[in-house]
Amino acid sequence: MNNFKVSLLTGALLASSAAFAQITAITNAKVHTLTDAGTLEGATVVIENGTITAINPANVAADVTIDAKGRVLTPGFIGSMNQLGLVEVSAVAGSRDAGDDKADVDFDASPAFNPRSSLIPYGRKGGITQNLVVPHGGKSIFEGLAFVVDLSGEFNSVLKTRTALVVDMDASGSGSRAMKYKTLTEKLEGQQQKLSEKDKKDDKKATKKPTQEELVLTAVLKGDMPVVVEVERASDILEVLKVKAQFGLNLVLWGVNDAVLVKEHIAKANVPVVISAVSNLPTSFSSLHADLSNAGELERAGVKVLLSGFAFEGAHNLYQLRFDAGIAVAHGMSYDGALKAVSSNIAEVFGLDGGKIASGQRADLVLWSADPFEYSTTLDKLWINGEEVSTKSRHDKLRERYTTDSDMPRAYTK
Amino acid sequence: MQKFKPTAIVLALSTVLLGCQDKGPQKEKVTIEKNPYPSTYQPHSAGSTLITNATVLTGTGERLEETDILLKEGKISQVGKDLSVQADVTIDAQGKWVTPGIIDVHSHLGAYPNPSVESHADGNEMTKPNTAQVWVEHSVWPQDPGFNRAREGGITTLQILPGSANLFGGRSVTLKNVPSPTMQGMKFPDAPYGLKMACGENPKRVYGGKGVAPYTRMGNMAGYRAAWAEATEYKQAWEQYNAAYAAGLNPDAPERDIRLDTLRGVLDGEILIHNHCYKAEEMAMMIDLSKEFNYHSGTFHHGIEAYKVADLLAENGNCAALWPDWWGFKMEAYDMVPENVAIVDAVKNSCAVVHSDSDTTIQRLNHEAAKIMNTANQAGFSLKEQDAIKWITYNAAKSLGIEDKTGSVKLGKQADIVIWDRNPFSVYSKAETVYIDGAKVYDRFDEKYQAVSDFMLGQR
Repeated sequence: MNNFKVSLLTGALLASSAAFAQITAITNAKVHTLTDAGTLEGATVVIENGTITAINPANVAADVTIDAKGRVLTPGFIGSMNQLGLVEVSAVAGSRDAGDDKADVDFDASPAFNPRSSLIPYGRKGGITQNLVVPHGGKSIFEGLAFVVDLSGEFNSVLKTRTALVVDMDASGSGSRAMKYKTLTEKLEGQQQKLSEKDKKDDKKATKKPTQEELVLTAVLKGDMPVVVEVERASDILEVLKVKAQFGLNLVLWGVNDAVLVKEHIAKANVPVVISAVSNLPTSFSSLHADLSNAGELERAGVKVLLSGFAFEGAHNLYQLRFDAGIAVAHGMSYDGALKAVSSNIAEVFGLDGGKIASGQRADLVLWSADPFEYSTTLDKLWINGEEVSTKSRHDKLRERYTTDSDMPRAYTK
Repeated sequence: MQKFKPTAIVLALSTVLLGCQDKGPQKEKVTIEKNPYPSTYQPHSAGSTLITNATVLTGTGERLEETDILLKEGKISQVGKDLSVQADVTIDAQGKWVTPGIIDVHSHLGAYPNPSVESHADGNEMTKPNTAQVWVEHSVWPQDPGFNRAREGGITTLQILPGSANLFGGRSVTLKNVPSPTMQGMKFPDAPYGLKMACGENPKRVYGGKGVAPYTRMGNMAGYRAAWAEATEYKQAWEQYNAAYAAGLNPDAPERDIRLDTLRGVLDGEILIHNHCYKAEEMAMMIDLSKEFNYHSGTFHHGIEAYKVADLLAENGNCAALWPDWWGFKMEAYDMVPENVAIVDAVKNSCAVVHSDSDTTIQRLNHEAAKIMNTANQAGFSLKEQDAIKWITYNAAKSLGIEDKTGSVKLGKQADIVIWDRNPFSVYSKAETVYIDGAKVYDRFDEKYQAVSDFMLGQR
């Protein structure tokens, strides 16, 4: 099994602790459930043991009651496609663990994840509670295996490893992109061949223990592990859809600036897309259809849209995701669609617990002063796995140091 | 070739025939043409436009309700309530907001254009740490689709800078954001040139990595000082030549050096410094450097740590052009605070500017300012829209030395104006109509006023 929780034991220990026994009720909130229940006004959400246990129960017996006074409650937002926790300072080699020349199909960067990274509390400022971390590989078209973390900053915050295989099928800097298709299909055909031979042998004892790469490729071929393919040009998207059809892949398209040209094909193949809401420049000949209206246009074509940060936003400015969603709305995406694009759609596509407000869901929640997409809206409270977590970061310490009067040099203000 | 004598033949002849510079009839005086690539910009023919009932942010700290603005002959001709004037076009801007045209002081559009292909990497002459002789206007590709996207975001004026690999990266150019097949057709008339300088990690990484100076930050400083010392001598040589000629003598002109021409322009106060510089201690040293060589240290760009020396910057009359929140890509960008602009702005006589350095965020500088305003207010500031708009209009114009021409809603100024569909500090705000010198250059609802670059024509 490739999808598993690494923190089962720790989670069980925590769940039994006294801190988790308390019941919290958030009352009188405008709740965007992102389920069929829609948006509820004046609603109550009950949290217990890190889980949402009830919405609008008849009776509330809570240890702590928080009156939202009509404010807005959303699921925690989910970042994706960045190197959170794998990079502290991009130009400092010793703080970079997202890539490696030797990285390939089985490159799992999750052991290098640093939950104490200063980027994590900064990400919380944007209401981000979970993140799909994506390595950026090396020389291979296979960039490695994505994994899921929460933004608690705790040492048990890796929630799920081997979440998706990431493949770069965009234009080559040298040589031909055609060679990438050869590499991809040969790799998948090779594993198919091995599996069919194994089935024929019917002698399990004689079978060698599978390699990590074989395990990944098997999960991919069974459709258990999503394959995220980074691609832009419309003709490339169609080629990748052919590969999906040939091997039965659980495909997710990422980038896809030209997706609007082939939106019907993508919708028909039921393939979700991860795009940036603010990508609107023809950065290459593969991206001539980048446009602010793309998120809305794809949504209207019936494509499941996931929003991730733009290049410079990356992991450091993950907090901007809510503003990107607002820009998507300004340019034609539905409001609910944009909310789902930064939460429930990501959870569904990658099999995460979270992204919705419903009984039984992980209690990753954010209480906002108003519309979470708007610049003037403040994040008032944030819960990760039912625990209220601060959004303070070292940035606040720096600001306070330099805006607080003191008779002493600033270095003494802590 | 960086050094040449414009009058080589004349000088050679005079040496042979006259032998001595002080005798005989005066040769023709050698002068340096300071504007050899002059602006050919002409405003599109503009009738008069009356905008009525708008919420107006003047760019100079005021917010005017239910206000009318008359744009006439390319200028802001009248501002007031219930103006009783006739105009060729009247726009009811009830519920809409009007600001000065947005100005970005830090762009690489045209020099690092889209598509960003190898043939287009014209933004940084990374061949020597001092390339003050290059002028980025000679790299500008006017068909960069980014100019059109920026105009749709309300950008009417922008400064194009060379990159930051070099201690001296070359001259900047300020453009009107109008479509034109030539750079000269966009060039902002009478805007001063800028000189790009760079502190810190970039120069020492690029050159130190090749085993040449600068290898360290002290190497950076030595490089600036050597260059300014040389430029000071160059300036003196020309001044001596001019004085001797004026006295009726027949001196030989100094050898022309186009690299030193640019540095001399700074020493003469004609070219403004635009200094890529992140760190507090470096900005403080760049200020001292400017005093050592008697020029002004201009605008600090990126200035991640400007908040640590906000008093010093205001005292010395420096503008600080900053991002709201970029950080962490280098050590010198590690100490970011999202209230940086607000902290700099809070000091008396300050000049806080929000810049983009991006073909993407240039399209939403109003949103960039909105992030700062709201984050700062949550930290105890009490900034309003009329305060924050200054960062992307009047203060930006000041940084570029064009605040007498554009950057505010003021009588007689160039009619560079944006009409927004709502409060421009909302995430949902969009520019509806953009005017440059009174001419409509963009209309969100009329394709006639939506320019398409040659590159994109027929591609969609």
